[in-house]
Amino acid sequence: MKVRFLVVAIFAAALAVAATTASGGTKRAQADKIVVWLQDDAKNGWPDAVAAATKSFQAKHPGVDVDVQYQQWTTHLTKLDAAIAGNNAPDVVEMGNTETTKYMAAGAFAPLQAKSFPNSKNWLSGLKSSCTFGGKLLCVPYYTGARAVIYRKDYYSAAGIKGTPTTLDKFVADGKKLMKKYGKDRNFSAFYFPGKNWYASMAFVYDYGGQIAVKKGGKWKGTLNSPQAIRALTKLKSVVHSLSRAPLTVDEAHPYPSIPFAKGSVASFVGNGWEWPYTLDPKVGNPDLAPVMAAYPMPSHIKGRYMPTFLGGSDLAVPVTSSKKSLAVDWIAAFTASANMRSIAKAGNIPNATNLVGFTKGNPKVEPFAKAAKYSWFIPKSPNWANVENANVLQDMCSQILSGRKSVTAATTTASNAITRILNTGS
Amino acid sequence: MAVAESDFSLASRRRPRWSRHRVASAASPYGLLAPALVVLGVVLGYPLYLIARLSFEKYGLFELIRHKGRWIGLDNYTAIIHDSQFWHVLLRTVGFTAVNVSLTMVLGTAIALLLVRVSTVVRYMLTAALVFVWATPVVVAVDVWRWLVDPQFGLANWLLTKLHVGNFVHHDWFVNPWSGFGVITAVVVWGAIPFVAITVFAGLSQVPAELIEAAQIDGARAWNVFREVTLPLLKPIFVILVSLSIIWDFQVFNQIWIMLDQRPSADYYLMSVYSFVESFRISEYGLGSAIAVVMVLIMFGFTFVYVRQMVKAGEVR
Repeated sequence: MKVRFLVVAIFAAALAVAATTASGGTKRAQADKIVVWLQDDAKNGWPDAVAAATKSFQAKHPGVDVDVQYQQWTTHLTKLDAAIAGNNAPDVVEMGNTETTKYMAAGAFAPLQAKSFPNSKNWLSGLKSSCTFGGKLLCVPYYTGARAVIYRKDYYSAAGIKGTPTTLDKFVADGKKLMKKYGKDRNFSAFYFPGKNWYASMAFVYDYGGQIAVKKGGKWKGTLNSPQAIRALTKLKSVVHSLSRAPLTVDEAHPYPSIPFAKGSVASFVGNGWEWPYTLDPKVGNPDLAPVMAAYPMPSHIKGRYMPTFLGGSDLAVPVTSSKKSLAVDWIAAFTASANMRSIAKAGNIPNATNLVGFTKGNPKVEPFAKAAKYSWFIPKSPNWANVENANVLQDMCSQILSGRKSVTAATTTASNAITRILNTGS
Repeated sequence: MAVAESDFSLASRRRPRWSRHRVASAASPYGLLAPALVVLGVVLGYPLYLIARLSFEKYGLFELIRHKGRWIGLDNYTAIIHDSQFWHVLLRTVGFTAVNVSLTMVLGTAIALLLVRVSTVVRYMLTAALVFVWATPVVVAVDVWRWLVDPQFGLANWLLTKLHVGNFVHHDWFVNPWSGFGVITAVVVWGAIPFVAITVFAGLSQVPAELIEAAQIDGARAWNVFREVTLPLLKPIFVILVSLSIIWDFQVFNQIWIMLDQRPSADYYLMSVYSFVESFRISEYGLGSAIAVVMVLIMFGFTFVYVRQMVKAGEVR
């Protein structure tokens, strides 16, 4: 009887384990090859800069292969963690400027010398600070970008709108004109706003004087349930209700708003600079829209100002686990050379150094975004911030508010408590 | 059992030492099992050992980079037990499993009973359809279903509106977790039915026709025949199917993960998603492992009961 019990137990355990474990494997890197992880944005927006960087790198290091692997924002940190655990991390990795702090604090990146990189004396201070931790330089500024309203000029003028709106109220009034003119098409949005677009939602919060969190006496406190933030999000809810028919449970990358925009059912959306050329890409968009597209900074509720935009951006780092650090540094230096920065700027971004701002001057596709950057906001600088993003705290809050699942007060209180808890973990 | 034991003791008294032949024949089953056990040990035992060890360690990003955790005893488990979210997720997972397993079993059995009654041509067509569903990879299936319920371009909304069920224009099925889980249940059950239907059908073909005839002559109705004759005969098959379904549905991950763009909101966390989020999204691998261990233990409980029943059923017959 005992033996039978044991057999049963072992069989049951094997079943249970078989059902809950999983494994994966990856290839080992060769000695004469470096692996570079860049985000999809480079593949869509400035593949020429990547190719040029590899070419000039190989002129210096003949025979060394550069394997550029494109990653997606939603999964790249998971993959990076797994690669670090498996001793298989890339030699160069692109990180969002909101993600670097957590990794720098954990000692994930190798220290670098600023002088190894072009234009390092004039790096944008915001990006440089997202690469500095404990007084050390741990990554290289890559590019930054602001968000602005990308719109259809032909729709605006057909709806009788003159010029672009300079206040939030005017923006809403114009949007209502568009809905009146085109709203019979039930897929039409005057202002396409996916429910989980937290970057654009937080712009409202900062515009009305709110903040995500504040640090007092060494402790963080989530402040999205402050009166200012609640006012802002209530306003956002009414704007989205009257102007958008975008799904309320998706974020701003699933799908990119440029895709319905290219199909003609969207008159405007908040987008990054690179989303303009992306809209015109014949593979995913519609090149015929080139003459009727334009952009303007999202107006503030205060006359004469713009709504603060999230100053997003990317950095390039060398993981400490890389065995080819000096090659990695050389590739980054080649990639961030002025000539490549020009291509990156042309694709709708702000280059990484102040001496290169000339690249964006007079370019109608970049100027509105550079203008929008005059008013900006940034995430609370805490090593735990990435966990707030990864736990979807803000996405869920926005989706709950905009879909009406929870009241603004209830959703913001839950989110604030979660933010307080996560930011203070381990401190 | 007592009788058998005394027989054995008598036999051993008569022949005090085991001959070489008997030792070899006693060992040979274990020899045959050994390769499989070694494989299981490597692909299951070692990861299990690692996950168990991780669950007693503080293992965040800092430790990950250094490939070395810090032993903290039961702290991860204490943290889980005091986390109200864990209990919510556990309750949700148990409910989800119960609903999915019941639906799968009822619908699968119904289709199997249908297969017995229909003509050969229809049976082949039905079986082919079932096999196609079975052969569809989860990722593909989830994408197809996602398009069906897409708020803007989905067939479901269009059809429901055309049929005047209500105004489903731009209806987002995932705003309300109940309807969202409805869609996920549909995907899971849809994918699980073929295995149950085909297995039960195979079992049904083994039920002796004369038993059913005899019951019918005695005046039993269809439902009674099923309850009194078919069900008891197929009990071993049902026990296996139910236990396997519980194991599969208790750890549903892909359907939720892919359906919700790899960023499901907290309302959609089941145990496996919760464990993954704690590990890979928050980079708390020790905590995530502890959740996985708890999950394994719960599954162990389920499967132990069922496997024991299975073995008992074997004893009776």
